Amino acid sequence: MLPLVMLLPPIVAIAGIAVLREQQYARYIALAASLASLGLLFLVGYGEYQMQWFQVGPYALDITTLVTPVNMLLLTVIALITPLIVFYSFGFMDVESEQRRFYIEILAFTTAMLGFAMSGNFIMLFVCWEFLSLTSYLLIGFWHLRERAVKAARKALTVIFIGDIALLIAIVMFFSVFGTLDFSVIVANLGNTALSGSLYFAVIMLLIAIFTKSAQFPFQEWLIDAMEGPTPVSAFLHSTTMVKAGVFVTIMLLPLLSFAGVTQFVLIFAVLTAVIATLNALKERHIKKVIAYSTIQELSLMLIAVSSSALIAGVYFFFAQSFYKALLFFSAGSVMKATDKEDLHEVSGLGSDKLAVISTLFGVLSLAGFIPFDGFFANVGLGSSISNLYVYAIISAISLITSMYIFRWFFYASTEARDGGVRLGYERLPRSMALCMAILAASTLAASIFFTQISGFLKYSGYYDYASYGTPLPGLGSALASQGTLVFLAIIAAGAAISYMIYVRNVLKEKKDSFLSFVHTGRLFAFFYAIAARAACLLADGAGAFDERVSEMFDTFGRMTMASGLGIRRISVGNINLYMFIVMAGILVLLAYLYLLVG
Amino acid sequence: MIVSPSLAFLVCSVLLVIGGIAVRTLNRPKAQFAFNVLLMAILLAIAAVLMLTGSKGSYFSLISVNPFSLFFIFLFTLGMLLVNIVAFSTSKNYADFSVLANFALIGMYIVASSLSLIGIFIGLELASLPAVFIILLERRAIEPAAKFFIMASIAIALFSFATVLTYGSTNSFMLQQYSGSGILLFAAVLFIASIGFDASIFPFNVLIPDVYEGSPSYITSMLGGVNKKMGFAALIQVLILIFIAYKTTFMVIAILSVFTMFYGNIVALLQSNIKRMLAYSSISQAGYILIGIAAEGQAGLAASLVQIFAHMFLFVGIMAVVAVLERRNRVQIDEYIGLNDENRFAAFAIAVFMLSLIGMPFTTGFIGKLLIFVSAVNANLTWLAVIGIVNSIISIFYYLKVIMAMYTSKANPKNLVLGRGVTAVVWVCLALTILLGIYPVPLINIANGAAGYLFSITSHVM
Repeated sequence: MLPLVMLLPPIVAIAGIAVLREQQYARYIALAASLASLGLLFLVGYGEYQMQWFQVGPYALDITTLVTPVNMLLLTVIALITPLIVFYSFGFMDVESEQRRFYIEILAFTTAMLGFAMSGNFIMLFVCWEFLSLTSYLLIGFWHLRERAVKAARKALTVIFIGDIALLIAIVMFFSVFGTLDFSVIVANLGNTALSGSLYFAVIMLLIAIFTKSAQFPFQEWLIDAMEGPTPVSAFLHSTTMVKAGVFVTIMLLPLLSFAGVTQFVLIFAVLTAVIATLNALKERHIKKVIAYSTIQELSLMLIAVSSSALIAGVYFFFAQSFYKALLFFSAGSVMKATDKEDLHEVSGLGSDKLAVISTLFGVLSLAGFIPFDGFFANVGLGSSISNLYVYAIISAISLITSMYIFRWFFYASTEARDGGVRLGYERLPRSMALCMAILAASTLAASIFFTQISGFLKYSGYYDYASYGTPLPGLGSALASQGTLVFLAIIAAGAAISYMIYVRNVLKEKKDSFLSFVHTGRLFAFFYAIAARAACLLADGAGAFDERVSEMFDTFGRMTMASGLGIRRISVGNINLYMFIVMAGILVLLAYLYLLVG
Repeated sequence: MIVSPSLAFLVCSVLLVIGGIAVRTLNRPKAQFAFNVLLMAILLAIAAVLMLTGSKGSYFSLISVNPFSLFFIFLFTLGMLLVNIVAFSTSKNYADFSVLANFALIGMYIVASSLSLIGIFIGLELASLPAVFIILLERRAIEPAAKFFIMASIAIALFSFATVLTYGSTNSFMLQQYSGSGILLFAAVLFIASIGFDASIFPFNVLIPDVYEGSPSYITSMLGGVNKKMGFAALIQVLILIFIAYKTTFMVIAILSVFTMFYGNIVALLQSNIKRMLAYSSISQAGYILIGIAAEGQAGLAASLVQIFAHMFLFVGIMAVVAVLERRNRVQIDEYIGLNDENRFAAFAIAVFMLSLIGMPFTTGFIGKLLIFVSAVNANLTWLAVIGIVNSIISIFYYLKVIMAMYTSKANPKNLVLGRGVTAVVWVCLALTILLGIYPVPLINIANGAAGYLFSITSHVM
């Protein structure tokens, strides 16, 4: 059955909510639509469908949908998470007057992402990509009365539009090189194509587009600012939609990328981004931004896997990350809702709601990589498939810090109300929020079952052979018994322990100050650690400074175009003589050009 | 040879002008309006019938009825109909406007369907001179009228000079290919320069924004929405029918398109007056249209025609709302803050039109741009397509400025009434933009037929 049917319920629901007079029913319509999409998922089968959109002269423009196991995986995750996001919003979005706008935007976003996940050619991809950009802009700037939200939305938009230009240029160039825009045709015909300069350029453009969407260096900062959006939106943006788009394109077009030989670039940039993001997460104090940095780090890990012949591990990571990441954002949202605070050192009180705190713990354990959560299997898959020793070492170091920062986050967020902390504002969380968290906590366990299935699941002959770009994942037994796994578990346990010592037991004799000052005041224990931490902070600061440079650069570009515009404006303020002169000069220049050309 | 519908068309268009003057003596704007709308609807219907039957024919070897001319005739009639409705609902001088505008419309018909340079010359004059007086209808608009007049006279002078050069070297006024001579290239540049004023091509357009800004909005919507398209009709015919063999002239068009796009987009970034911004934006759109012409083939031309079609309704649609707001003295972009609170439909419509100008999928603007870029790539003009893309991204910033302003809340919004006429115009433009954006096949087929016809006669004449 045509996969496009999945888009119908949200579209119908948008129209319904738009004409509905009573805003309070918007949420039920949205929930029903997202559940209907989930139901329709079962009707979607593998394969490629082509529908002609229009034809002009020799070339036809098609809407092509392609469903391979990877698309199916993404579709499944989107279809599963969307109802949870909507249901969570029942409790979270209690501003009555904004219901209509919120649910319309969420559904539009879902529609775009579902369409994106099933796109089989660049036309469909681009259409959905544009809609994603626009709706994400609307969602990030949802609280349009807040100065910061508007600014963040604008910053996101600037970066995203860089991606849009790059993608459009890439598409145009691909069309001129291949004469088609269908993924399957392009991938199949790579053998008879010469690697020309324009193809190489097009692939680089595609990479830029991917990096902007998936927040890779040097475009990572917009995703952090995007935390100004409502929390369900952050959860959605970071777990299944938007940021996954870049990784998804990388997976779908991996043969093209490796044909052009750019996977090394991807690897280098991804490693760099992962390091920067991890270090930033350790020193960040905003409750949502810590998790946002961890998203960037995970996206980098996925790209590392995909670009270093560990495709299957990457795909599993891609799948598993959705659940615990959505969960952690839900937790952060609950805390923020209850205390109205955003600073990690001020929030507290998650501990008052047992269901919430246990669910959150599941998410934390999964993110850190503890057995038997899906995060563990994602990390084990990654560790067992990566052969490059340096990359392996870096990933191990990252796991240590990951474990540290996520437990730091957990300890701060989950403590009983401390002095100066605000008590839980609610008697208890709205049940819809707690229930969603519990469901997601259960799915972090459920998703780990899929680990043994993934290699078989990805076997598909209709598109390129996924297995040829990645070593199959180890079986359950060998995964658990291997040395690497044990080392990994030891590392993250150490991370958790360090975190516990520092943030709960206060071994560093410092209460609520920043991480660096813990290190400064520490004694023997901290000596070695201080050096490492200093270096880490320097690197993180450096990356931040670089990012500022980049955004300054864009500013300067803007001002430059403004300045040249001012000059032109001065010319065209209506002096007739000048006009005559310009016209004549124009004619003369054209004539000179023509005669030079003709000879 | 002469099919009866086309005879009826001729009769109706003459009746439109003469009858319009006669009705003017009654001095009743309502009657005038009814008369105009009725006749234009009839003309539109006949044009549609002619288009569907695929009629071809010619009169006195000067005027030709063919898919290309019918495409533009249909476009001009529909455009002028919409402009008439806007003018009737926003202006006190409707009666005088309509009489003059009818003359201009006939001029456009002649441009679209002429087979000879003399015909195009007459048509251009007939369309431009009434425009001067139309601008003068509003007392405060003397300066833009003077500027427009000067530009039009320079353009006409250049055009006649180019015609003379063509005749001198070929002994013919007809639009057909001539065996090469250097003088013809000179003529080509002069043609481009003179029509460049109507089609707002850089650098022959630098006074255009003054005119657009200074004129009342309904006149601006006629100048930018319809008159400019006439310029393109003339440019396309002259270039393709006479100069198709001269590759260099198309290179010139490619280069001019780059300058036109950058000029329009960069200056538009700075504007705080919405009409001025739209003037520059329409200049940049002219640049995109030129890309399709520069691609020098049926596909490219068809793409340009689609974009011409798209832009007309986008421009007229936005201008209809702008005209209403202008009567309340709101022309600065800052004064559009809170439009959403005052009239949701108006804000939504402008947002859609602007997104379409940017090139958002599922609107006609996207289809036009996509086809243009694809045709440029196919004509080995990838660099031009890339420049076009960069430009359309620059344009996002100034369009979004308006959208953001409209959707920013305002303290105590007053309800804004568009009026029936303007609402209808906006609905028509909106429906065409979205429906043809989702299902563009009919539009593309017609544009392709029109472009194909033009190329088919160039290959026969040889």
